[in-house]
Amino acid sequence: MNPFRVAIAVARKDLRSEWRTREMVPALAQFIVLALLIGNFAFQIDFRNAPSIAPGILWLVLVFAGLVAFGRTFAAEREQSSLEAMLMTPASPVAIFAGKALAASALLILCEAVLLPALSLFFGTPFSADVVIAVLLATVGMAALGCLFAAIVARVRARELLLPLLTLPLWIPFIVAGGQAVQSAMGLPGRYDEAVGLLIDFDILFVVLTSLAARFVLDE
Amino acid sequence: MNRFEKASIGAVALMLLAGAAIFFYAPTDWLQGPAQRIFYLHVSSAIAAYGCFAVVLLGGAIFLRTENYAADRWARAGALVGVVFTTVTLVMGMLWAKKVWGAFWVWDARLTSTLVLWIIYAGYLLVRRLSEPGRQSARLAAVVGIFGFVDVPVVHFSVTWWVTQHPGPVIVNDALPPQMLATFLFTMFCTLVLAAVMIAIRFRIETLMDAKQLIPGPVQVVIAREPGGVAGPVQ
Repeated sequence: MNPFRVAIAVARKDLRSEWRTREMVPALAQFIVLALLIGNFAFQIDFRNAPSIAPGILWLVLVFAGLVAFGRTFAAEREQSSLEAMLMTPASPVAIFAGKALAASALLILCEAVLLPALSLFFGTPFSADVVIAVLLATVGMAALGCLFAAIVARVRARELLLPLLTLPLWIPFIVAGGQAVQSAMGLPGRYDEAVGLLIDFDILFVVLTSLAARFVLDE
Repeated sequence: MNRFEKASIGAVALMLLAGAAIFFYAPTDWLQGPAQRIFYLHVSSAIAAYGCFAVVLLGGAIFLRTENYAADRWARAGALVGVVFTTVTLVMGMLWAKKVWGAFWVWDARLTSTLVLWIIYAGYLLVRRLSEPGRQSARLAAVVGIFGFVDVPVVHFSVTWWVTQHPGPVIVNDALPPQMLATFLFTMFCTLVLAAVMIAIRFRIETLMDAKQLIPGPVQVVIAREPGGVAGPVQ
C-alpha cells in the first residue's frame, strides 16, 4: 500500500468526521475568542504596548488550543476502539500516524485562521504574511510532536493531565523561535530570518524523529 | 549487611569526604566568597544527572530494539535518580545565583534548558506511574526518554541568542587553581559513585517490584494441575 495514499485517506476520514459532527472547530474558535477576551482584561492593553503583549497572547492561546486539539486526536478512535482495527490493516503505522497528524494540523490551521485576524482586530497588531509564515512553520513541528504524545497518552490513565506535561516542554523550542519571529514581525527588535531558519530546522528535526518514533508508539 | 548497604555506606562516606574537601581544603574564592563552594556540588550533580539521563536514553533504546526488561528497569532507575540530581543542581544553582547575581532565577539558556530537562523527566516518571506496568508502558516511556534527551540540547541551542549569564566552562579553560580543581574532581568522582550506587539500588527495587507484578514474563502459560504437583506459571 502506498503510504502517502494511506496518510491522505486517514486525514480525509478524520476531516470528514469533523465536518459531519462540527464539534472541534467551533468549540476551539470560541475558546480562542474567550482567551483573547481574558488577555484583554488580564493585561492593560493600549495601542502603545499592544505589539509587545500581543505575540505573547498569540502563543499562549495557540499552545492551549493546540493541546485541546491534539488531545482530541485519538479520542474518537479510543471511544470506538477503531485504532486497533486500523492497525490490523496492512497499512504502515507510520502512514496512519502521518494521516492523523495531517488532519490535526489542518484543524489547528483552521483555528489559526480565526486567531490571527481576531488578534489584529482586537489588539490592532499588524496581520502580515511574516506572522502567518512563522505561525504555520511552528504548526508543522508542533503538530508532529503533539500527535505523537497524544498517541502515547491515549493509552494512559489521566491522559488529560499528562498530555500538557509531556508536550509543552517539547514545544518550547518552537515557542522560543516562533515567539522571536512573531515579535520581530510585529515591529519589536529581533532577527526574523534567523528565527524562521531555526523554525525550519526544528520542523525537519522533529518531523523526522516523530516519524521514526511513531512505529513504536502505534505498533501493537 | 548486604552489598547494597555496604555500597551505600561507602558512597555516603565518600560524600562526607568530599564535603570536608570543599569546606576545609579548597581555598575561598576572592571574588565570590564562600558562595563559590556551591560550585563543586552544583556542577558535579549536573554531570551526574546527565549521566543518569544517558542511562535512560540507552535503556530505552535497548528496550525498543530487544524488548529486554532489564534495560527498561535501568531506564526507570536512571530517570528517578536523574531527577533527584537535577533538583539538587537547580536548588544549589538558585542559592548561588541569589548570592552572586542577586536573583534566584534568570531566563538564561543554561537555566531554561535545565528546568526543561527536569520537567521532561518528571513527566517520564509520571508516565510510568499513570500507565499500566508492562510492555506498552515501557515502550511509551522509552519514546518519552529519547525525545527528552533530544529536546534539551535543542532548547539550549534555541535560547543561546539570549545573552547568557551563566558562568562558562571553567574546567576546560584551565581557569581553576590546582586546589580547587582537585576538590572539584574529587567531588565529581564521589557524586558519580553516589549516583551509580543509587541507580543500582533503584534497579534492585524495580526488579523486585516487577517480580511481584510478574512483569518480565511475556508469555504466561498456566498448565493443568498435575496430581500432587504444585501448579504455577511456566515460561
